[in-house]
Amino acid sequence: MSTETTTTSTEISAPSRFLNEITATSVIVKLYSGEEYHGILESIDGYMNVTMEDTKEYVHGKLIKTYNDVFIRGNNVLYISNV
Amino acid sequence: MSDSKSEPLDLFKVLLDEKVHVKLRGAREITGRLHAYDSHCNIVLSDAVETIYDTDANDQLISTQKKSEVIFVRGDSVILVSSPNDV
Amino acid sequence: MSTEQSSLSQILPLELIDKCIGSRIWVLLSGDKEFVGTLIGFDDFVNMVLEDVTEYDVDGSETQRKKILLSGNHITMLVPGGEGPKSVAVN
Repeated sequence: MSTETTTTSTEISAPSRFLNEITATSVIVKLYSGEEYHGILESIDGYMNVTMEDTKEYVHGKLIKTYNDVFIRGNNVLYISNV
Repeated sequence: MSDSKSEPLDLFKVLLDEKVHVKLRGAREITGRLHAYDSHCNIVLSDAVETIYDTDANDQLISTQKKSEVIFVRGDSVILVSSPNDV
Repeated sequence: MSTEQSSLSQILPLELIDKCIGSRIWVLLSGDKEFVGTLIGFDDFVNMVLEDVTEYDVDGSETQRKKILLSGNHITMLVPGGEGPKSVAVN
């Protein structure tokens, strides 16, 4: 539509492109408090709210819990990594 | 730009009227039946059991439980929401 | 006149980061967490995509990650070309 000038020179931002790449694949979501969630990325929104499937919760590298479907509120997210 | 077919908050829609497990800031967890939610993750649960974890003087993990018929949870303290049928 | 002057002397902070795309960058977060990686790109919130990443945690541990989307929320400082905490070891 309009020719908006973003800070990055590309049309679709690198974060959006990366998220499209990794949706429906295995990812690691790390929270600021240190917990890691390993699972399949189902969906994500602009707040970095995330839902994952077949998720394992690790604290200090130790498996704590498993979840089928899980929603993580975006403000807790430190990073999302591919595996 | 992301797929419009599914967004994270859709999971709440699926979980409405179901038992859910909510992990909160401050080493707290609540299980209860999901009655209502909004885009901030403010949540209303019924038949809720809140578990609060702490350590005693000997650094042993202790937990206390509180039951409520209805409870409102402010969204900013929510870390995680899931269905409770976990291992 | 004054606009011309400012356009010559000013470089916006995010322009500087834009110049770092494709290069190594050192990212410092609040709470003693640090990341070093190759900057792939970023958005208006300074959420950043990094590749070949080393994560330095509060406890001193290091973790390698291939590619991450780092939330801009807790970023405090960006060091272009920085090679991480070890490059500025203090005796």
